[in-house]
Amino acid sequence: MSQNLTNPPAPLPPVPFSIPEASRFRLSNGLEVVLLPMARVPLVGIRMAFFSGEADDPIDNFGLTAAMASMMTEGTEGYSSRELAEKAERLGLDINIGSSTDFLIASVSGLSIYTDDIFELLSEVVLRPTFPENELDLYRRNTIENLKFQRSQPNFLAAERTALELYGQHPYARIAPSQDDIRRISVKALANLHSRRIIPNNAMLFVIGDFSEDDIRQRIEDSFSEWQAGEQDEVAYPQPPKRTGRTVSVVDRPGSAQANIILADIAVPRNHPDYFPLLVMNQVLGAGASSRVFMNLREEKGYTYGAYTRLDLKKLSGEFEATAEVRTPVTADALKEFFYELERIRTEPVTEAELADAKNYLTGVFPIRAETLDGLAALIVNQHLYGLPSDYLQTYRSNVSAVTADDVLRVAGQYVCPDRMAIVVVGDAAEMLPQVDSYAAAVAVFDSEGNPVDDAGKSVTAEQIAGKWDVILDFQGSQVPVTLNLMHEGSRLSGTLETMLGNGIISSAEINGCRLRATATAEMAGQSVELSISGTIEGSTMSGTIGSAMLPVPMPFKATKAI
Amino acid sequence: MSESFSLSPLEIEEYRLGNGLRVTLNPDPAVPVVAIAVYYDVGSRNERPGRTGFAHLFEHMMFQGSQNVPKAGHFQYIMKAGGTMNGTTSSERTNYYETLPANQLPLGLWLEADRMRSLAVTQENLDNQREAVKEEKRLRYDNQPYGQIFDIINQMIYRNFANAHSTIGSMDDLDAATVEDVREFFRLYYAPNNAVLSISGAFDSITAKELVNRFFGDISSQAAPPPVDVSEPPEVAENYKKYEDNLAPFPAFLIGWKIPPRRTRKFYALYLAGKLLYDGESSRLYQKLVKGDESVIQLFGFTDERRGPSSIFVGAIPKPEKDLSQIRETIMKEIADLAGRGPSPEEMQKLHNQLLNDTVRMRQSSMNRAQAIAEFTLYDGDPTGVNRELEELLAITPDEIRSAVAEYLETENRALLDVVPGK
Repeated sequence: MSQNLTNPPAPLPPVPFSIPEASRFRLSNGLEVVLLPMARVPLVGIRMAFFSGEADDPIDNFGLTAAMASMMTEGTEGYSSRELAEKAERLGLDINIGSSTDFLIASVSGLSIYTDDIFELLSEVVLRPTFPENELDLYRRNTIENLKFQRSQPNFLAAERTALELYGQHPYARIAPSQDDIRRISVKALANLHSRRIIPNNAMLFVIGDFSEDDIRQRIEDSFSEWQAGEQDEVAYPQPPKRTGRTVSVVDRPGSAQANIILADIAVPRNHPDYFPLLVMNQVLGAGASSRVFMNLREEKGYTYGAYTRLDLKKLSGEFEATAEVRTPVTADALKEFFYELERIRTEPVTEAELADAKNYLTGVFPIRAETLDGLAALIVNQHLYGLPSDYLQTYRSNVSAVTADDVLRVAGQYVCPDRMAIVVVGDAAEMLPQVDSYAAAVAVFDSEGNPVDDAGKSVTAEQIAGKWDVILDFQGSQVPVTLNLMHEGSRLSGTLETMLGNGIISSAEINGCRLRATATAEMAGQSVELSISGTIEGSTMSGTIGSAMLPVPMPFKATKAI
Repeated sequence: MSESFSLSPLEIEEYRLGNGLRVTLNPDPAVPVVAIAVYYDVGSRNERPGRTGFAHLFEHMMFQGSQNVPKAGHFQYIMKAGGTMNGTTSSERTNYYETLPANQLPLGLWLEADRMRSLAVTQENLDNQREAVKEEKRLRYDNQPYGQIFDIINQMIYRNFANAHSTIGSMDDLDAATVEDVREFFRLYYAPNNAVLSISGAFDSITAKELVNRFFGDISSQAAPPPVDVSEPPEVAENYKKYEDNLAPFPAFLIGWKIPPRRTRKFYALYLAGKLLYDGESSRLYQKLVKGDESVIQLFGFTDERRGPSSIFVGAIPKPEKDLSQIRETIMKEIADLAGRGPSPEEMQKLHNQLLNDTVRMRQSSMNRAQAIAEFTLYDGDPTGVNRELEELLAITPDEIRSAVAEYLETENRALLDVVPGK
């Protein structure tokens, strides 16, 4: 054959692609509705989205929104948890309710022949959950075990530390609740949150798939027009902190085969006007397998299986991150190459070829994301939840194409700031420290529970803390005396907790460094109550909190050891 | 109800080039996207002792450049055209695939043809990709809690080396590989007569055939690779093993059984039995263990579908202080119930609807269609199997499920791996 195969072939004539137009209307109770027909597959998907998420949780009850999302499918007025799962799965329907930092989304989808059932189940889980006590109890216990499990995973530890470093007191600082947060979640708190947040004037309903518009409007009226509007919470969020300098944190995970590296900084919220230049900049720098950091750290240096940068832009703020999992001995080399690439993108203009490649990628993959019902749903839901322009999907590709090399240089200069990034490394601290200590004046070291290691370096023994402790509890401003008796047998602790309302038995207790964590089961006013005790010991004093599911917030205490 | 629902077959054309390359075309103009999947008939099943990890190493080598495509150029050409791509390796095959805007079909075909014709097997590429594979092993297996348990249980289930060893392979074997070994592997297994090219999406068949012929037509065929013997005795290799996992926070266990090959009625029956046992919140074991006894943190199960003897697994991470043997007893009791009474009518209805739903969802994406068609072509020599699989599954009777569970799962012939957290 005499064809010239040396050069890549020219493309065929372009095939136009248009996103179907959505229609939008509002019910009298304030519920916004978006309909997007997609007749080529016999499926219907509904998403009911709420403009409240995990960041809106009370500061002392983090995890409440996530718990509510999980519990909405664990029992309703019409169905027990099991009946709901059986009905949905018998019809092949997918039900999912999940929360993110900013939103809660309930979704039901399946074959369009089951449209009646899809509507029925969505209304049931959104409008009529009952939060049964026994299911909540199981949720609490399973979530606590899952939280322990997460701590064995290096990527979780890295993400947790990064959020804390970037966000300080801002609600985005927390990516997972503590065990105490979970213990505090009550049926009452869930029902209260449900009545305040799950209201039509805080929601948007999306219906996507194979349906006739008249029929679907009628179903929406039938299912949701009786739903009462409520008063929307006004939540005031603190500003995300401004970073002023570079920080280095190491999370010690002894025995790690790798180092998980994250370099992170605060960027902008999702609806920021710099979105498109940032998207293109991130594509050139590190979003994919042909981007600069991947080509450098993996393809040239072979330090890692993958090295990337990413933008995680949310409602109130966002992050820019560079990440890689590298073999332990090349941690310092990997950091050096990351900083080289970060410096280069912010000081030198990207080439015309790089710019064109990045833009071609972003415009080209766009239709692929719209091939499936779930993909199209994600596009339209995000557009509306983040308040993006009504022609956002139609103009996405032209907005990407309009980005110039100057735009990229400008946003890189503004948002990629190696001098103020938070460096987080998860790995064996003994091997990490010598490799990272030149990047900041001080390196903060944490254990996998999130405790600073100076604290964990010191430790107390069961023998040292056994004895009688006089505890003063702060219960809603009044000082309540309580006695804690600790006994030890070798390293095992047991004991009692004596209060004015009744006495409790310490059912489990463990020491980690200078921290005591214990659980007491007490009879109080005829009821069995589980109390969780968390304290830090310094010599003969201890301070911490005692919490229970009955209390909205744990009670702080101070204690001294009786001689 | 579901009786009113019928699914039209996918339009598929199949033909073969003079050099033996099997080609399938599945045009569907709905979205201007085209998916290309190239499946090579080589996986870990083809590897000999001392030469493990080669099939997977090749998946990396195939991105290292060829006569007209520079090192890592494959990624770049695809991405700058607005496409996505990847490759994966299993016991059965190695696949490479890309989804592109419809007008970039020529580019995708040219790239796949160039590396099939002229892969650059150099010492430098080999050294570099060996390191990338080692890093992948650390990331996916060595540094993850429970990361190695599936490789271990496969060695307990299978007696035949071709089936038992891991896809990631031995790092010593990879270190011992010479450029000559790697070149020979390429010549044998990456020949057009050992591959399937599958195209789905928005394209014109006449244009596609011209392009396929232009780019692939002159690649030379090779002698057929040596046949693979994956035969197995019915007995598992090892019934019990305790494994200390230094990264695991909790004890866990995994039970595995050896079952008949894919696409047999018995395999289908066991695949459906698995769905009833562990798939979803209404499944028997979820309701018994996660809900009823409240004894496990995580429950999981799946089938490993192979052309030869296949396998099915159930595993759990129990809650602390829970008696592992009691949880296993509950699992075996539920299996005994399924083996005795078979699935209920409600369970059969559930399977029916879930199979329809899964099939409709799978077909939405050009890439899923291209991959499914390539698999049927490679394994069965018949791409239209993709249109019959749903019917074949729906034809499985409750009694077939019952008797397959009795024969293959309700038996002492199984492998149990106990994972204990290390110190």
